[in-house]
Amino acid sequence: MDRSQPAVVVEDLHRTFGTLKAVDGVSFSIDHGRVVGFVGANGAGKTTTMRIMATLDSPGSGRVCMGGHNVVHHPAKVRRLLGWMPDSFGTYEHMTVLEYLDFYARALGFKGADRLRRIQEVMDFTDLTPLADRMSNKMSKGQTQRLCLGRALLHDPQILILDEPAAGLDPKARVELKNLIRILAQEGKTILISSHILSELGEMCDSLLFIDKGRIVHHGDAESMVRGTETAGETLVNVQIAGEPAKLIEWALTAPLIKVEEETKRGARLRIQSTDDATLAGVLRRMIQDGLPVLDYHREERRLEDAFIDMLGQIDKNTFKSPPPGGLPPKITEDAK
Amino acid sequence: MNASFAITDFPDRLSPMVVKELRQGLRTRLFGGMLLTLHIMLVLLTLMSGGAENANVVSGWFDGIVTLVLCIIMPLRGFSAVADELKSGTLDMLALTRLSAGRIIFGKWAAIASQSLLLMLSILPYVVARFVFGGLDLFGEIAALFYKWLAGVVIAAVIVALSTQRQFWLRAVVVFLPLMMTGCGAFSLIIMSRMGGGMSSGRVFTFFTKSGGASSLLVVVALAAWAIFFFLSLAATRIAPTASLLSVIKRSVHLVMILSLLLLGWLTGAGADMGMIAAGVLALLMTDALTERVNEVPSVYAAFYQRGWPGRIALWLLAPGWVTGLVYSALMVSLVVVYVGWTRSVEEAKLVFVSAAGIWMIAALVQLFSTRKSRDLLPPFVICWLFVNVVIATLGRLLVIPLGRLLVMPLSTKGATAGFTWALPQLLPVGYASANAGDKAYLLNLGVLAACIWPALLLIVAVFAWRHARGARQEGWRMIHGKKGGTAV
Repeated sequence: MDRSQPAVVVEDLHRTFGTLKAVDGVSFSIDHGRVVGFVGANGAGKTTTMRIMATLDSPGSGRVCMGGHNVVHHPAKVRRLLGWMPDSFGTYEHMTVLEYLDFYARALGFKGADRLRRIQEVMDFTDLTPLADRMSNKMSKGQTQRLCLGRALLHDPQILILDEPAAGLDPKARVELKNLIRILAQEGKTILISSHILSELGEMCDSLLFIDKGRIVHHGDAESMVRGTETAGETLVNVQIAGEPAKLIEWALTAPLIKVEEETKRGARLRIQSTDDATLAGVLRRMIQDGLPVLDYHREERRLEDAFIDMLGQIDKNTFKSPPPGGLPPKITEDAK
Repeated sequence: MNASFAITDFPDRLSPMVVKELRQGLRTRLFGGMLLTLHIMLVLLTLMSGGAENANVVSGWFDGIVTLVLCIIMPLRGFSAVADELKSGTLDMLALTRLSAGRIIFGKWAAIASQSLLLMLSILPYVVARFVFGGLDLFGEIAALFYKWLAGVVIAAVIVALSTQRQFWLRAVVVFLPLMMTGCGAFSLIIMSRMGGGMSSGRVFTFFTKSGGASSLLVVVALAAWAIFFFLSLAATRIAPTASLLSVIKRSVHLVMILSLLLLGWLTGAGADMGMIAAGVLALLMTDALTERVNEVPSVYAAFYQRGWPGRIALWLLAPGWVTGLVYSALMVSLVVVYVGWTRSVEEAKLVFVSAAGIWMIAALVQLFSTRKSRDLLPPFVICWLFVNVVIATLGRLLVIPLGRLLVMPLSTKGATAGFTWALPQLLPVGYASANAGDKAYLLNLGVLAACIWPALLLIVAVFAWRHARGARQEGWRMIHGKKGGTAV
């Protein structure tokens, strides 16, 4: 794979189904070894974009390159670099887990002992070894997801596209899958994951791409997303003290750079006119020096879901205008983290 | 790491798809149950065949059951072969492996063909036993069994090709109407012939093999092999990536097939029969060539441009899409028409042209009336073909059955008969056959003139479609020549 170019390049991608614009000018690029979350409501264009990236659909217009290869011109080369885990997939009747992986290993060109060794490695990694003789269509959702991930990893792809991998999984299976993805990320694979469970994406991903109505509406890391207020140069801090909250309010009214947002049962929410960590720590130090019995002092963060919904609302309100075609696409690099 | 698994049921040299299908297929209850039931029935029939007085009845049942299994039940196992993969999303996962669309489709068909072969071989001992007990023509029976298997695997190819269609109802209509009618007809015919002493298996065998010059086993096997290739490649095209160049292989093979038939006819002196067979082959290959979506992937055209002027000429004939398919079909029709005119008569050549125009007519109707959003032209083509042929068959009947004659005859004086049939290419052969000897030439010439409308109409639509794909061709040209040189065609 050509590492001088980004692992993924999507330029001004369009795809329509009849009159529906499923993807409407999407542009982004992802550097090697990044883990990127792809976020959007149902029908936003995530799966269509991912399917085009995986050579399973054709772009209406625009350019998509994976590992330096155009998905339309060189689908076979792209497929060798790519592991794809679709949002919904079936397994086969009358076929055990071992036979299922054996079939795909054969289909990927593995032969003889190499094939068995690779199957063993994948089964060990996905913890499917105890299920080797289980019929592949008689497994739980979590086990099936692991089987599908195992299939996607058989040829050791450098780029992984995972479409809703955690959908429908119970908490235990979700944690297991998250751990597997974390290990793959540590191995340096480029991973694009779409999911509705944004908090999990926030934990796993270096950065997030938000898509709405077929357009990329935001990109950045989860931290900046959840601290939406900090973009205005302010930080909301939740403070609890022992004793009367009035003491805290009184102190806050006299302190510089601090406004009282609201009084709470055991303290107050304060708006501090800084996002700098040192300034926030200084405020806490002054509170203690001034004799306030502080029990809890923490930066208030929105849930990622709330941030996403707020952002979509904001976009609707401001009649968001997407960057013009040919404008600077979001580039997800080492610095973006 | 040492592998602790051992999975050595099939060797590496077998296609992965065949291995998968066999693993699944041999475990199904249908296969096991059918094998068991078949053998119980054949044991009973073999035991019953000892009595001379009921030998024909037993033979009828024997052939009927074997035909039912090999030509209907086994092929029908492919009914949802690809559709199920499409619906469950597993075809996407297969597409991402190194398996080409052709290998996926071939694997589906090969598994059915090899299971049929297994069944056929398991039937052989009963044929030998019937020869021992009943004194039947052993080689004739074995040949008949082989032809049944061959017919079965051709039907399986048709059904696997149809299974690329997601809509169940469309598959059901296309499979169950003609196939069941033909299958049940043949089944009844064989049983009735044995029971009533009408048509013996030897005569059925002769029917398959002895049609003029096409009497050799080689021709029948070659035709079957081509038919299997045709339907499997048609299916592969429908699931292949848009950048694939399957049309080059397909159209080259079809061209070789047509030329071989014509050459064989010329060498063996069976030109007339070969011409008729070529006309049948022509109808199928035209259907394929005229239902391919116009390709707008630049690399497809680049593949032709990089081969210089021969590539540019080949592009007009072999590039994917119905526009080049029209040029290709015109070439094929010309070949066959000239050949039939040379070996038979000008009238028959004209009839071949009119038949080809029937296919062009349906393609033109599909282009004019199918929605622009439709990416798949084959289903509207098949629906249109079925509709037109049902209407034509009904109208055609009016010309030949007595009641129809009563209704039509008042109008079918010289001009009225022509007026009833010349306008539609599908109907003209019927009208031509039923017309007075003096009117035939007039009717045929009028029909040929009318038939020319359809390729002309299709040509006009093709010009627009070709212009629409100009951007892709230019991009393909730039991929090879950069900004230098001439322009893309």
